[in-house]
Amino acid sequence: MADYKGGETTGFQSPAQDHIEEVVDLAALLDLRKPGMYPVRVVGQNLKERGIDHNDILIADATADPEAGRVCVAMFGGEVILATLKRKNGEWFLLPSKGEPVPVTADVDVWAIIRALVRIDV
Amino acid sequence: MCGQSSALLFELMSEMFALIDGNSFYCSCERAFEPKLRGVPLVVLSNNDGCAIARTDEAKDLGVKMGDPWHIISKRPEMKAVQWRSSNYSLYGDMSRRVYELLLDAVPFVEPYSIDEMFMDYRGMPYDLTEYSAKIRETVLRVAKIPTCVGIGPTKTIAKLANKLAKKNRSGPGVLNLADPAHRASAYKDIALGEVWGMGRASVLKLEKSGVRTVADFVAMPSDHVRDLLTVVGLRTHAELRGTSCISLTGLSAAKKSLAVTRSFGKAVTTWTEMREAVASYATRAGEKLRQHGLQASAMQVFMHTNRFNGDAPYSGGLTVEIEPTANSFALIAAALRAARSVWRDGYRYQKAGVVLVDLYRASELPAQMFPTRDPAKSAKLMQAMDAINAREGRGSIRPAHVPVQASWAGRQRNVSPRYTTRVEEIMCARA
Repeated sequence: MADYKGGETTGFQSPAQDHIEEVVDLAALLDLRKPGMYPVRVVGQNLKERGIDHNDILIADATADPEAGRVCVAMFGGEVILATLKRKNGEWFLLPSKGEPVPVTADVDVWAIIRALVRIDV
Repeated sequence: MCGQSSALLFELMSEMFALIDGNSFYCSCERAFEPKLRGVPLVVLSNNDGCAIARTDEAKDLGVKMGDPWHIISKRPEMKAVQWRSSNYSLYGDMSRRVYELLLDAVPFVEPYSIDEMFMDYRGMPYDLTEYSAKIRETVLRVAKIPTCVGIGPTKTIAKLANKLAKKNRSGPGVLNLADPAHRASAYKDIALGEVWGMGRASVLKLEKSGVRTVADFVAMPSDHVRDLLTVVGLRTHAELRGTSCISLTGLSAAKKSLAVTRSFGKAVTTWTEMREAVASYATRAGEKLRQHGLQASAMQVFMHTNRFNGDAPYSGGLTVEIEPTANSFALIAAALRAARSVWRDGYRYQKAGVVLVDLYRASELPAQMFPTRDPAKSAKLMQAMDAINAREGRGSIRPAHVPVQASWAGRQRNVSPRYTTRVEEIMCARA
């Protein structure tokens, strides 16, 4: 294992030895260890206008309350989809990237709210 | 108030426990990520896709029993509609962690009793316990995606019983509070003794002979009579059912006494080469677990046996050996293989084998060895390096040469779901 982290040296004492820090922790930044956080892979390009592309990794938060304009992961009709939340006359709707708005009823599960995006190989 | 007296106050508060458990936990984990499985009968099968080990209500209603061999019962016409999955313990473990962490936000102490059951410390809660439990259930369902039931009582045994009753009442609120003695007394009249946690079959039979059938009958017995008839364990259960707490919450740090890695083979093992691979793999895994707990083992048991039920020629053998205290995988493999070799008999069809480490100590508690044959610091460093690589790259990335990449004896898992939460390449897909 690489034990050298810029601190302990064999010849000249490292001036950095009292200042060694860990590498930036993206899991911590994204709150990934929290019990309500789930990573989700995007399939399809219909959210490109929102800056969300095919194969992106989204971080979904199941503790977050719904908020108009947010993208959410929803389950209905046996499928897992991404949709934008919309509020109209006190009712919630899902705006799928294609097709009609879907009223959020008992058989629509707003599973989690998207909080962050990770894109590899930009 | 000074710290000491508040600690005293805490001691004086009467005990109160809740047991929360996931409904058909493995099935619920699968349903969390696969909406097609919701509302349809679903079973999860054991390690080798052998037996049903988790069933949704819909599957129970179709007659699937716990432990039913799937390859047999799936031929029944009514099972056509039943969906099945291989067990995906990486997923279930992570979902269990999520439930545990959510509970820790709600109560001061949580004891994970099993992967799908946790005891909570409800002592001194300034809330209505039934309402509070309902809120916890709602949060666990929304955030960890697991439907649960909660039982509440002044002892663990009562909380466990309350949980069982809450679960039985499918259309009920999912919470049963048996903290009130009057409520308890009336509930006890309808509960058979076999339903009680810690009540073995032999005890139930003994009690039935003397006309004790329900929990109400049992708690009405004088303690002396219970002591004469049953063991100390029976007496403890009696006291717990009467509302006197005898079993306290246990932390995970309570030292483990033994550690077992045992598995049934996917197909019968008939050659020493295969057995050697299997035993080496189990010893390797046992070593990993040992190091996770910061323990060392000074004795080991190795066993193997044939299938006792399918008419194969029966053989069952085992051997316990003392070893120089170690947590080193290579030392464990060497000892396990020596033991296995002397237990092995040619000509049998082995169904199961296992490595059990016993006499476990914290590394710091061990007496110094007079003539150690290994350098413990060097050995620890090597193991640390191995564990670190396997943690980063996935289990089995580097392994002792005895352990095969793809074993012929390993379980068949033909329908395992993705590890949605622990592997980047397997996370849930959502259509945009």
